[in-house]
Amino acid sequence: MIGQPGIPPAGSSRSESWGEWFDRHSRTFFIAPAVTLILIFAVFPTFYSIVFALSRVRFTGDGLSFRFVGLQNFYKQFIGTEQVHFLGKIEAMDAFGLVFFIAVTAAVFWWLYRSLKTTTWIGMAGRAISAAMAIFLAWVIGATLLSGNPIGTLLTTLFYVIIGCALQFVIGLGLAFLCSQPVRAKNFFRVVFFIPLMITPLGVGFAMRMVADSSKGPLLPLFNLFGIGSWIWSADAWSARFVMMICDSWQWIPFIFICMLAALENVPRDHVEAAQVDGASSVQIFREITWPQIVPVAVTVLLIRMIEAFKIVDLPNIMTGGGPGTSTESMTLHSYYIWRANDFGSSAAIAYLLLILTVVICASFFNYVVLGQLRKARG
Amino acid sequence: MAAGSPKIPVRFDKIQKYFGTVKVLEEFDLDIAPGEFLVLLGASGSGKTTALRILSGLETATAGRVLIGDRDVTNVLPKYRDISMVFQSYALYPHKTVAENIGFPLKVRKVAKAEMNSAIREAAAQVQLEDLLDRYPRELSGGQRQRVALARAIIRRPSVFLMDEPLSNLDAKLRGYMRAELKHMQQTLGTTTIFVTHDQIEAMTLAHRVAILERGVLQQLATPAETYNDPANLFVAQFIGSPPMNTVRGSLEGRHFRTNGARIEAPVGGRVDKAILGVRPEDCSVVAPARGTLKGVIYTSELIGDHTLVTVDNGHDKLIVKAPKDFNGNQGDAIGVALRREHLYVFDATTGKRIR
Amino acid sequence: MSTASFKFDKADRSLMERLFEPPAVGKISPAASLVAHFLLIVWSLFVLFPIYWVIITSFKNAVTVNLGPFYIPFLDFQPDLDAWRTQFNTEPNCNFLGIARQFGLFFYNTFAVIISPLAEIQPMDPQICKIYHAFTNSIVVSIFSTAFCIAIGSMAAYALARIQYKPKFGNIMMFVGLTVLVIFATSYAGVPWWASSAVALALFFFLVRAFGKHFKRSLGNGDILFWIISQRILPPIVVVIPIYIMFQAVGLLDTHLALIIVYAVANLPIVVWLMHDFFANLPIELEESAQLDGATRLGIFWEIVLPLTRPGLAATTLLTLILNWNEYLFAVFLAYAKVQTMPIMVAAKNAGEKGIFWWEMSAIIVIMIIPVILMAILLTRFISRGVLLGAVKG
Repeated sequence: MIGQPGIPPAGSSRSESWGEWFDRHSRTFFIAPAVTLILIFAVFPTFYSIVFALSRVRFTGDGLSFRFVGLQNFYKQFIGTEQVHFLGKIEAMDAFGLVFFIAVTAAVFWWLYRSLKTTTWIGMAGRAISAAMAIFLAWVIGATLLSGNPIGTLLTTLFYVIIGCALQFVIGLGLAFLCSQPVRAKNFFRVVFFIPLMITPLGVGFAMRMVADSSKGPLLPLFNLFGIGSWIWSADAWSARFVMMICDSWQWIPFIFICMLAALENVPRDHVEAAQVDGASSVQIFREITWPQIVPVAVTVLLIRMIEAFKIVDLPNIMTGGGPGTSTESMTLHSYYIWRANDFGSSAAIAYLLLILTVVICASFFNYVVLGQLRKARG
Repeated sequence: MAAGSPKIPVRFDKIQKYFGTVKVLEEFDLDIAPGEFLVLLGASGSGKTTALRILSGLETATAGRVLIGDRDVTNVLPKYRDISMVFQSYALYPHKTVAENIGFPLKVRKVAKAEMNSAIREAAAQVQLEDLLDRYPRELSGGQRQRVALARAIIRRPSVFLMDEPLSNLDAKLRGYMRAELKHMQQTLGTTTIFVTHDQIEAMTLAHRVAILERGVLQQLATPAETYNDPANLFVAQFIGSPPMNTVRGSLEGRHFRTNGARIEAPVGGRVDKAILGVRPEDCSVVAPARGTLKGVIYTSELIGDHTLVTVDNGHDKLIVKAPKDFNGNQGDAIGVALRREHLYVFDATTGKRIR
Repeated sequence: MSTASFKFDKADRSLMERLFEPPAVGKISPAASLVAHFLLIVWSLFVLFPIYWVIITSFKNAVTVNLGPFYIPFLDFQPDLDAWRTQFNTEPNCNFLGIARQFGLFFYNTFAVIISPLAEIQPMDPQICKIYHAFTNSIVVSIFSTAFCIAIGSMAAYALARIQYKPKFGNIMMFVGLTVLVIFATSYAGVPWWASSAVALALFFFLVRAFGKHFKRSLGNGDILFWIISQRILPPIVVVIPIYIMFQAVGLLDTHLALIIVYAVANLPIVVWLMHDFFANLPIELEESAQLDGATRLGIFWEIVLPLTRPGLAATTLLTLILNWNEYLFAVFLAYAKVQTMPIMVAAKNAGEKGIFWWEMSAIIVIMIIPVILMAILLTRFISRGVLLGAVKG
């Protein structure tokens, strides 16, 4: 942009007015409020949280006291008393789990080896972190889930994120595809589909709890029809998790729907028409022309959705209170409950572990999938 | 590619097209001979692109029929009409290589790979793209992209080529080169081609016949020479030719054209109160004020290179005259214009029709 | 290799093709239309049913709720305004006078917030008309935090789109180091927070002055933008406890101001991300010609740039408004009595020994949903114009 505006014409040397002084420093003033607020209320508390996570925090007469305990709070989650709550029940892996773990580890190492030649040092460091996370998660999955043991909040959160987002993406894309066809009342569907996103998660939780109620909910006749009239979904760990995921999908599919619909409608009409004249069927057009054009948007939308999905807390809190037991607790909820029990240190530790999990997984997805697609699209 | 592929005629049979209540095409009737290069010429909004899209099947006519060969294709999807189309924006698939772009029409028809590859190479050779088969469209220049679009159109050897202003996005020099290439290719292949453009030079140079459209109505269907020398109405006369034909307002009385104090001998007779005399710049010459049929002052003079264009203002109309390149009149000088009698045209000012 | 007669005759095409192929470009075959509409209607029912259920439950009472599902008002059960009456009439003071007083206090508090943030905001006594109290709190907090967030966010986004910043990497590292020192000092060494912060800040400016020019590596606008947008990845639970402590230290717990600031920060990433995209897409010539005419940057921003991005601005505002309206986690930590917002009130209904009064809960949820649905309908109009797509593509 052209240089300093508001410079008084040569020859006149009156003192600067307020407005001019502000304008001269507008560089700073425009961006300072946002940066300052983020520094004070996001960056600073994040660091402050580390102190919580590394300490034993007690209420004293006029505030809090911190006693440095190193990584004890973290240790508790992984190996100590909280292991079952956080990771799940870990015993010796059975065959199924072992095979899975070894397969994943092998694949990860092979991937690392292949990228050795083409990546910088920093890139390799990042890949090492992603690899470590992948192997660790594979171990947890192998040791708990695939060995028939109950899982903890770590895997429950991952279940909500990975399986949930995948389901939401598929259904959202399908709905968007349907709405991009010449169907009648398109706008009506668009508005209706958009509504769930805007309702407070709390409200959604209560609404779903009412609807899914096993004793007096509206779905009772349906349950009876399928012979599960006396089944209480909230009493079984996995069914509770599935119901939770379905309700979360109810709320978040609209987001995917709206973004993918906009992407579909922005595919250049020319390309589609050229393909139609060239002789492609609708399926071929979607596969060869439309889909490659919307993949960049698709992976970006998926990334955004994943980032939000890690924070899930209201739904499990309201619908099941984290139960049965702790089986539907997400990590945020886990941290919240521990906070309510006044163990601030562990609460901060879990929060931090969630942060690490989110950052590593989302950054990996961003670097290896999203960037790749964006680079392909832009050339 | 053999030049002996069958030549198919095309027919628009009383096509009407409404967009809501807006009439875009009115009773459009056109017979295109087998192997003909027909240009649909008109300004934007004239309906030429709509006519092309109706022929391609991307739009459906409100009424009327479209026939390709002896088949009624009015209600048939584009992919069954055996046509191919070159779009103004080329519509190259950005994530496919040049080879994949060219081969796409065959791929969707599930042609065997070997056959497809040889067809791709043949089509690419026809447009001199053999070295660029592995590139992506974004790496190509405008002219190269256009040739990819052409190759994609010819690979299937369809019955009809449709082209929607394919040269508009090229710069002037490249446009001239591609015009020649296109004409040569069409002559070689002999395929019936419908070409839409707003550029009358393209129409004049490429077409066997030109169909001029204005506001959905066919103005004239004739060879380029005929549209130039024998325009059917005022619109055609002024659309074709650069610089455009001069128009002088006046009235036709008997065998004389009366305007602003001058009496000019007209090539036709009649009695028309509001008439327009048309004469092309090259059929006028600048003379001394006394000797000119029309008299006026020089409004401006522009040296083109091999000639000078002199705009003469006689207070009533402005005329552009082609003068020799060493003409050196100044703005404001009195000047006279002589007209060649054999090349005068008379039009009815109200209807625009040519008076014969 | 002429394909002239490729499947021209209908008999040559497969059954699937004949059924599902459109009769013409831009139309859809009857079979496909049937399938599509069926799926869309099924999903619509899935979407609308819970909302419908909540609405009719708000018209039920203890009997009609607990005795099993009743589906259609007037046919299955008699609708009852019990829940609604309870909301609006719990207290004897919840009459016209009480409501008028509430609104009066609301307007007063509005000005109090603007004029002197730390001064007296009159407590809107939570015992009078709980629902109005929560509703007005929600409105106040949502509107102010949205306005604040949009103002700050769009200014920052505009700056990032037009001005080149080059913060030195070294300075940033120094800042981080000093922050950590402050925190350790305050927590472990017991230094009062205002002392350590002041010292650290002074030290920072001094060090920047002294060593700033020696740092070579600098970051660019893209990095700053990335940093701001990536704040969205931060799970709120990580920062909520320290923020609680911070507000407690300055005595701002349970005030409107606390929620307003925190909500603004929480949504800053989204606003900056969306608005940056809009600003970056504006042709720069307009602003340059204004500059040549002598306009100030603020003037250009206010008079030229903002009006041009009105649709985008409106869409972003609506989105932020909805997010603020629905926010729960920060509210539950930072506001417990005076600044109860609607979500807290909804959650409060959960903690009853008698069990949940579903009909009352539904009534509150309906009250909460209505403004949101109106805002959502407005927002879809903007989204359908492709206003927000550019941001997602980037």
